[in-house]
Amino acid sequence: MYLLIILIPLLSAVGSGLGGRYLGGKGAGLLTSVWVMASCFISLILCYEILINGSPVYIELGRWIESDLLMTNFGLQFDMVTAVMLIVVTTISGLVHIYSTSYMREDPHLPRFMSYLSIFTFFMLVLVTSNNYVQLFIGWEGVGLCSYLLINFWFTRIQANKAAIKAMLINRIGDIGLILAIILIWKEFGVLDYCSLFSTVSSSSTCTWICLFLTIGAAGKSAQLGLHTWLPDAMEGPTPVSALIHAATMVTAGVFLIIRSAPLFDHSPTATIIVGLVGSLTAFFAATVGLVQSDIKKVIAYSTCSQLGYMIMACGTYNCLSSLYHLLTHAFFKALLFLGAGSIIHSLLDEQDLRKMGGIIRSLPLTYILMLIGSLSLAGFPYLSGFYSKDLILELTYNSYCLISIYWLASITAFLTAFYSFRLIYLSFVAKPNLTLMSAQHLQESDWNLLGPLLVLGVGSILVGYIAQNMVFAPGLRPLPFAPTIISLAPVIMSVTGILLVFILSPYIIYYVSRPSLYGFLFYAWEFNQIANYYIGSTVWKFGHTVSYLTIDRGILEILGPTGIARLLIDRTRDISRLQSGLLFNYALIILVGAALALNYLLVN
Amino acid sequence: MSYLILSIVILLIGILGIILNRSNLIIMLMCVELVLLASTILLLFESRVLYTLSGQIFAIMILTVAAAESAIGLAIMVNYYRLRGTIAVRAINLLRG
Repeated sequence: MYLLIILIPLLSAVGSGLGGRYLGGKGAGLLTSVWVMASCFISLILCYEILINGSPVYIELGRWIESDLLMTNFGLQFDMVTAVMLIVVTTISGLVHIYSTSYMREDPHLPRFMSYLSIFTFFMLVLVTSNNYVQLFIGWEGVGLCSYLLINFWFTRIQANKAAIKAMLINRIGDIGLILAIILIWKEFGVLDYCSLFSTVSSSSTCTWICLFLTIGAAGKSAQLGLHTWLPDAMEGPTPVSALIHAATMVTAGVFLIIRSAPLFDHSPTATIIVGLVGSLTAFFAATVGLVQSDIKKVIAYSTCSQLGYMIMACGTYNCLSSLYHLLTHAFFKALLFLGAGSIIHSLLDEQDLRKMGGIIRSLPLTYILMLIGSLSLAGFPYLSGFYSKDLILELTYNSYCLISIYWLASITAFLTAFYSFRLIYLSFVAKPNLTLMSAQHLQESDWNLLGPLLVLGVGSILVGYIAQNMVFAPGLRPLPFAPTIISLAPVIMSVTGILLVFILSPYIIYYVSRPSLYGFLFYAWEFNQIANYYIGSTVWKFGHTVSYLTIDRGILEILGPTGIARLLIDRTRDISRLQSGLLFNYALIILVGAALALNYLLVN
Repeated sequence: MSYLILSIVILLIGILGIILNRSNLIIMLMCVELVLLASTILLLFESRVLYTLSGQIFAIMILTVAAAESAIGLAIMVNYYRLRGTIAVRAINLLRG
């Protein structure tokens, strides 16, 4: 059964990918949905065994790399972290599969889409269940590949191509960090599987470097500050992809990496503080940018970025389990928000602009309720799932003995989060209608294949936080923050203020950028793209063109190599053949000179 | 000794005539004859000095060869004149490399 949970998505992907033309769109959708849901139920059974009955499982499958100094096995490890990730991955993936059968119904390439989704699930499962860093890296690269394929699913669109390449390249920077970390781990400790490594880990300066490289890896995959620019662009992909990969699962792989490597981070306070700072800055940055975005998917994408910042920040306060807990709840409400946004977009005939929505509350009541649940949960409203995990992280941050600025950034972020999530609700549902006549006439709820997953996720967003708190924090060891009452109440006050502020400021929350201003600065995401394009992109481009291409490749190497030698030979032979002028007296002169030289040579010797 | 100088002078005149002559193919043939004449004089002088006959035998051989050479050379030249209408040396450069 432990192997089955990994193999089922693989077989489903192969079946749908290779047999897609025989199955057709509907058949492929049915096949993959059923199989991935089966995988989901298996993961629930596994979670019962692992989390509730407390029986981690360790499976050795076989040897992979075997040399004198390096031993790497194929192996699976099902412990608590893996179990929580299994729930996240298989549940969200299963629901997204079902959702896609309705959302992508008109698409002629549905079998390919379902195949990509399934192979993504497979790679994600490989990532979370591996028992060593090398096998983790397979999954890590695999989900990056699937991210590329899925963003680029509509490959005829130039924006989709560009976004996919961008996602791949920026992820690659993080991957280099991870590779360097793996190499350093091998150099320092000589082992790569978790059990051996974490039993031999010790404090050293190399440990700090390992942790920093791991942080770079996590920053690339989890869209932390500096390497985050691919995530908003990845919204070019279909909405189910955004929900599955760029909200719930793949982007949490970076957080998973840090949670998995927590024993390493325990030995390096420097790296841990850096992780906390990076996380809190990302959370704050993304929240401010989310305030002013006009694309409904980009608002949610930046909120994902912000929540990932929370998770990373929680890792930076030595509380990886609370980070894992937030990962679990976040997966549910963020998938709900994305799929809900997909439902709105679908109903409005593929309109993504918040400025062209409004007043659809009467036509889409169910979507409205579900989006409201998701947004309240995201804002940390009491007794929804976001409340449990987010408040815990905020209080733990206040409690931790590192920089207090992290706490303030996180608190402001909590306020901003509430504001932008309700700005989204307000603009899309409550505000005055701003629709086109065409989409207003066609406005209706989608079918149950699309709404069913939303309902399940809605229930999940309400309940998961409460149910999971005793499962994640194994037997009753939930961390108890010591914070004054006002600090404990602060997040709730913040979020309620943020929600109310939306309705106070409602005439001003949408705005058309006309000139450089603070609004424009936030709208263009702190100009990160422009700065990176201008200072890094074009510099590297110029360097590549002038130095690598013109000077070295087509310059020095070409002259020392083929072109130069060929030109030399041609010129010299032309010179020699010019010697033969055709005039008799020249030949006679050459003969005489030659004879004289030969005679001279003979006489001298 | 003066014979030696005479033959060398004739040889040089012949060689310079071959090299410097740009105009006429007949002059070139005549210069070849001069070179052969110089060698004949040298051989005769040598046979006189060394009291051997082999020099004179060679001289007769060279006379024969020179006669044959000038005959063939003139024949080539006549044929060439028929083809091209000129026997200027500077015009004979169609076979350049």
